[in-house]
Amino acid sequence: MITFQNVSKMYPNGTHALNHVNLHIDRGEFVFIVGSSGAGKSTFLKLIMCEERPSEGTILIGDTVVTDLKRRQIPYLRRTMGIVFQDFRLIDNMSVYENVAFAMHVVGASNKEIRRRVPYFLGLVDLQDKAQCKPAELSGGEQQRVGLARALVNNPKLIIADEPTGNVDPALSFEIVDLLSEINRHGTTVLMVTHEHSLVKHFHRRIVEIHGGRIVADTGKVEVR
Amino acid sequence: MKLSSLGYLLKEGAKNIWSNRTMSFASVGVLVSCLLLTGAAVLFSMNIDSAMQSVEGSNSITVYCTQGLPTLKAVQVGEAIKNIDNISECELVPKDQAVEEMLEMLGDNGTVLEGLMGEDNFLPDSYRISMADLALYDETVAQITAIDGVEKIIDYSDIAEQLTQLDDMVTTVCFWIILLLGIVSLFIIANTIRVALFSRRLEISIMKSVGATNWFVRVPFLVEGMIIGLVSGGLASLILNVAYDNVISSLSILSFFTPLPLDPYRLRIVLTFLLAGAAFGVLGGFISLGRYLRKDVGAFTAP
Repeated sequence: MITFQNVSKMYPNGTHALNHVNLHIDRGEFVFIVGSSGAGKSTFLKLIMCEERPSEGTILIGDTVVTDLKRRQIPYLRRTMGIVFQDFRLIDNMSVYENVAFAMHVVGASNKEIRRRVPYFLGLVDLQDKAQCKPAELSGGEQQRVGLARALVNNPKLIIADEPTGNVDPALSFEIVDLLSEINRHGTTVLMVTHEHSLVKHFHRRIVEIHGGRIVADTGKVEVR
Repeated sequence: MKLSSLGYLLKEGAKNIWSNRTMSFASVGVLVSCLLLTGAAVLFSMNIDSAMQSVEGSNSITVYCTQGLPTLKAVQVGEAIKNIDNISECELVPKDQAVEEMLEMLGDNGTVLEGLMGEDNFLPDSYRISMADLALYDETVAQITAIDGVEKIIDYSDIAEQLTQLDDMVTTVCFWIILLLGIVSLFIIANTIRVALFSRRLEISIMKSVGATNWFVRVPFLVEGMIIGLVSGGLASLILNVAYDNVISSLSILSFFTPLPLDPYRLRIVLTFLLAGAAFGVLGGFISLGRYLRKDVGAFTAP
C-alpha cells in the first residue's frame, strides 16, 4: 500500500526532516506512528499527501509512484485518502451534515449520492441525531467523529489520522481508536500518528517509531486476532 | 467538471459576495466609475466625429460685412462676391434674419435677444457662400477678404480643426484616467477576492486535502469576480443610458448641434459593459488566486 524507498527530505532552511527512510505498509494494516515533536512525523504525512516532495528517494502509494506525479494528478491521489486531524478542522458555519457533504461536493458527487451516503456515515459514527448542529454545539469527541465521517465518506483506501485523540478526553480516545479499528477491519489501511502510549499499548498494532528523521523502531506487521 | 458541482460552485461564489459585502460594494463602485468614464469618453468622441462629419460635409462659409454697413453697400458686397469665378452660391443673410435664426436656435432661452430687433440690432449683414472648387479655397478667400466692406470670414475648417483638437485632448485625458481607474478596479477586485480567500483558507485546505482540483477551488472566486463585474457592467450601462438621454433632451434646444441618438448603440453598450465588467472580475480573480494555487497547499501545510 505505502512504500518509502530511501526517502530523505531536506527543507530549504537546511532542516533534515527525514533521513534515508525505508518503510513498507501493506494494504489493510493499522500502523501507529510514534515519535517526539520534531521527529519527522509531520513531514512523513506531508510526503504521503504530496504536500511536500522528497529531496531523495521514491514513494509508492498503491501502484502510483508518488514522486513522479504531475501536479494536476495530485488531487486524484488524495481522493483515495481520508484525513482525520487533531484539531478536527470542521467548518464553523456549516452544520454537521454540510461538513460531511462538503467532502463529497469536492469530488463531484451527485446530490442524490450525497443525500444517500452522508446520513449513512453519520449513523456509523452515531451522530445521525446531530446532523443539523453546528460544530460549536458538539463536544470534542463528537467533533472528532464528524471529522471521521468526513474522512470516510468518499470511501478512501487509506485513512491518515494525525493525533486524532489529541484534543479529546482520554475515555473518548479509546472510542475514536475503536472506530478506526472497526474501519480497518473492513479493509481500509489506517495510519495513525499519536503520542499516547496508553493507546498504543492497548491496541495491539504495528508501531513505527521515528526519531531524528529516521525510523528507529518498527514492530513489523501484527496479525490482529 | 460535473453539472452538480457547477451548481454548487456557482452558489458558493454568490455566497462569497455576501460574506465580503463591504469589499464587494467597493469593487462595484470603482468598476462602475471606470466603465462610466470609458463609456462617456467614447460617446463624446462619437459625437465629435459626427459633428465633424456634418461640418466637413458642407463647404459653406459665412462672410460678415462690416458692422453698420448701409444696406445698399452690403448688396454691393454681395455682387462683388458673386463676380468671383469660384463662387457657386451666395445667399444674403440680413441682420434681422440672423437674429431670428439665433432666436430659433436658442428657443426658450432666446428671449433676451428679442429686444435686438430693428434699429437696436447690432449684428452685421452676412453672406453664406459655397465654392465650386475647394482646391481654390485659399485664393477665393483672399479675393473675398479684399472686397471693401467685408469684415471677416468664418471658416468651418477651423471649427473642424478645433473639434479634432478637443477630441484628441479628451481622448488622451480619458485614456489615462481610464487606465488608472482600471488598475485601481483590478486591484480592488483582486483584494476583495483575496479577503474571501483568506476567510476561507481552512475550507480550501480541507478541499485540497480531500482531492479538490485547482479549478474546483478557483471557480467560486472567479464566479465572485464575474458577478461583481456583471453587476458593475449592468449598473454602469443603465446609468450611462439614462444620463445620456437626459443630456440629449437638454441639448435638443440647440439647433446647431444634434447629438447622436443612442438607440442604435444601446444594446451594444449594455453587452460591451457586461462583457468588460465580467472580464475585469475574472481577471481580478486570476490575479489573486494565481500565487496561492501554485503551491500544493493541503491540510497539513495550510493553517
